[in-house]
Amino acid sequence: MRDTQPFDHRPDPELSAALRAALEPKDDQKAFVARVMALYEGALDRSTVPTLDVLASWFRPGIAAAVAALIIGFLFGRTVLTPAPASIDAAMAPLEGQGLAALVTAQDPPDASVVFASLVDQR
Amino acid sequence: MFAEREGGAGGLGGGAGGAGGAGGAGGAQPPTGAARMGSSEEDKGLVAKSLAGDRDAFGVLVERYAQQARRVARAVLGDPDDADDAAQDGFLSALVKLAQYDTRRPFGPWLMRIVANAATDRRRRRNVRQAEPLDPALVGGGPRPDAVAIRNELGARLQTALGELSERRRMAVVLFDVEGYSHAEIAGILGIPEGTVRSEVFHARRRLRTLLADWKEQAR
Repeated sequence: MRDTQPFDHRPDPELSAALRAALEPKDDQKAFVARVMALYEGALDRSTVPTLDVLASWFRPGIAAAVAALIIGFLFGRTVLTPAPASIDAAMAPLEGQGLAALVTAQDPPDASVVFASLVDQR
Repeated sequence: MFAEREGGAGGLGGGAGGAGGAGGAGGAQPPTGAARMGSSEEDKGLVAKSLAGDRDAFGVLVERYAQQARRVARAVLGDPDDADDAAQDGFLSALVKLAQYDTRRPFGPWLMRIVANAATDRRRRRNVRQAEPLDPALVGGGPRPDAVAIRNELGARLQTALGELSERRRMAVVLFDVEGYSHAEIAGILGIPEGTVRSEVFHARRRLRTLLADWKEQAR
């Protein structure tokens, strides 16, 4: 091995051999080559999928996610923007209407017109 | 990550983009002829055949560069299994990007750039420390009288020493001293100026030579 000279980049066979021995894979190269080639078709298939196909595959989930986000945003916004009742009495006030009481206390299932009437009463 | 990714046409970017010629502009010749095989017309023919869909041609390229790619990846990652995974990623990435390879330039540096980036990506994903010496126990550390044990011990020490170098430095010295690339070609692979490569190789060699000398002293 030669002495170290500043920026001396002549070949150093001893260092080269030692490094090569330290980094050299110990196993058979053929196994590695076979492993790479086993993935050959898959790599080409992945590379030939057109961008539009990738985008198309995301279209439906994207639309669904956007709709869900809109609904959540709408509900959240309405909740935030609706003023809270001043008291529990005020909150219960709409239930004190006669039509609604009759609807709630009736023995038989209500007719649709009764439901409608109770709603109109509340207005 | 090295300064420029392999994606661009022609592969070799940075200051050494035109460093396709053997030996580069700096006058420093690579110490071995290992990298020269990458500049052969045969490589270019194999690339052309691969592009035309010839699976066997790509297989020959893989065979030709497998050991080199594995060594380069190991210089980055330390662990042989991780290195093989990275080398495999590099070959498959090269296959996909083969149309981007500029046949006026040697194939080896283009491929090694991809492999080096694959190894660096893997290391970052793994979030491994920069210094990554191989466990000496895995390579038969400990003084034993047989030659294999001695060689293993030296190998373990060298890997430890490599792990102490910065990634760029150990890449530079491995590409220069093991793979035989010129400074200019290494500059292209690593995406750094040629002068920086010279400096990195020099400092890495100095450190490794010191270690080798110490080891020989102890072995006496």
